[in-house]
Amino acid sequence: MDWRERVAAEGSRGDRTGHFEREFYRGIYLIRRLEETLLELFAAGRLSGTTHTCLGQEANAVAVAFHLTDADVVVSNHRCHGHYLARTGDLEGLLAEIRGLERGLCSGKGGSQHLCAPNFYTNGIQGGIVPLATGMALAEKQRGSGAIVTVFIGDGTLGQGVVYESFNIAALWAAPLLVVVEANGWAQSTPTPRAMAGSMRQRLEAFGLPCGMVEGTDALEIHRAAGAAVGQVRETGRPAGLIIRTQRLGPHSKGDDSRSPEELETLRERDPLPRLAASLDPEQRRAIEAECERRLAAALTATEGPL
Amino acid sequence: MARMNMVQAINLALHEEMKRDENVIVMGQDVGVNEGVFRVTAGLYKEFGERRVIDTPLAESGILGTAVGMALAGLRPVAEMQFSGFSYLMMGHLEGHCSRYRSRTHGHLTVPLVVRMPYGGGVRALEHHSESREAMFAHIPGIKVVIPSGPRNARALLTAAIRDADTVVFMEPKRSYRAFREEVPEESEVWPIGKARVVQEGTDLTLVSWGAMLRMALEAAGEAHARRGVSVEIIDLLSISPMDTETILDSVKKTGRCVIAQEAPLRLGPASEIIARINDKALLYLEAPVGRVGSYDVVTPYFGREQAYFPGVDSVRRAIDETLDF
Repeated sequence: MDWRERVAAEGSRGDRTGHFEREFYRGIYLIRRLEETLLELFAAGRLSGTTHTCLGQEANAVAVAFHLTDADVVVSNHRCHGHYLARTGDLEGLLAEIRGLERGLCSGKGGSQHLCAPNFYTNGIQGGIVPLATGMALAEKQRGSGAIVTVFIGDGTLGQGVVYESFNIAALWAAPLLVVVEANGWAQSTPTPRAMAGSMRQRLEAFGLPCGMVEGTDALEIHRAAGAAVGQVRETGRPAGLIIRTQRLGPHSKGDDSRSPEELETLRERDPLPRLAASLDPEQRRAIEAECERRLAAALTATEGPL
Repeated sequence: MARMNMVQAINLALHEEMKRDENVIVMGQDVGVNEGVFRVTAGLYKEFGERRVIDTPLAESGILGTAVGMALAGLRPVAEMQFSGFSYLMMGHLEGHCSRYRSRTHGHLTVPLVVRMPYGGGVRALEHHSESREAMFAHIPGIKVVIPSGPRNARALLTAAIRDADTVVFMEPKRSYRAFREEVPEESEVWPIGKARVVQEGTDLTLVSWGAMLRMALEAAGEAHARRGVSVEIIDLLSISPMDTETILDSVKKTGRCVIAQEAPLRLGPASEIIARINDKALLYLEAPVGRVGSYDVVTPYFGREQAYFPGVDSVRRAIDETLDF
């Protein structure tokens, strides 16, 4: 049972008090712990390949996934573990894939940033997959499936030219495409103001993509904004954007964070996770965390083996 | 049977395949209302409408990227690059997406898409309208690169490319577009991709060529036969990747001599690869080093110097003589 089903089930039992917040927290917490664990495994020399963790950005993935149906398509990027987990709940398949194991979700052939599952695609070339998402959305439209495609990009990706070719094509041909910009302020080690001229929002609006903005420190606020953006694409059948001002609390990849401790401290204050945790009943929160730890431990054990 | 040129034959294949499978769509710059700069897509827009014959913005990367997404989602796009010289902007998708989905998903998910592009010189144009870069595309693992040499095989191979489960780069030698006509069968034909054709049997020397060079190879072989009675076996490669090594080796083992004639620059080109394969498997059958003919390792010159740059009948004839007289 994935977390969306759990929300629905809990809701149907009539115990609605705080159930949504709990399930949202469960989604975020599991991603957070997976990402922390991956960095630990790398540091211990027990993991190879690469990883780009979404520490601090987990709520964006969970919020958007909540509003999607199974028929909808999600297209992600190098920082994709959260999007995948929020979408599928397939912790073991993901971990095995990152570890390069045959039982991974791509048989250990893709690795961390090249995930490919039904209705879920990622690639490591920044922005290169945005036209693919556009093409998928157009194909869904031609088929009359009613599905929409959500593509996650970062603000660093806004430097890539084909992104704008895609906005143009998506708007011209009315592709049901949602572009979610997780603006964490950095393109690897280059701060966004050093790499981007003009206004981020106007870049989308210039092509006729209505664009929502959300500050991103409150998980439920992100959830509401994501709902509005998904709803807009679904209702109009046309592309739209959502910019989430978010924060990358970990390194770009591994051990490559050049930001100062003060800056990181400021970013940690924006982290939606502790805020959401504080709003929960402590006992229920601990139960959720314990369950996530058990799942993670089980997945680690199940995927242990020669790397 | 009808006599037609290569433009008409390719157009016929597009009509037939669009009629056969409604998932086939055609997209590119000026392919719809304008019917394509070379008229290859004539009549498609009128017959199949704007939903399936799509005029795109001027955006090669966006065109191919969108086509890849459509292919992953179940459509069969045939994307046109107006000239092969414009295609470099879309290379990232060819390299980064087209064949990798098959690999990552153990074949569950592929990218069934055709990228058509007129290529090659001989039309008194300029550099981005004249080059032959088949080696560049063929170097990408999993990408098929097909080059027809005449109307009949163009129609049969484009049909195969559209029905193929993977991405095919279909390079159309534009100097052959309207250069000659030949009989094309009434019924749709599908020729296997990756299979070369022996277009003339012979016993003294194997001549391998493809695209527009094939006609020159035939002429040079005819001249050599008339002048010195030599019997040349001519192979039309038709597919650069996958490459039909077997047909080449069978022929070289029989003749003991080989010349490869390509329009592309020689350095690291298909001829080099063919020679490596002959050396691997048929070295001891050779009576002479394998000869090769191609263009120079510089940017394609403007039309005034085109004759000095591109290989022609004379250069193929010289290579035949050198290989025979070794």
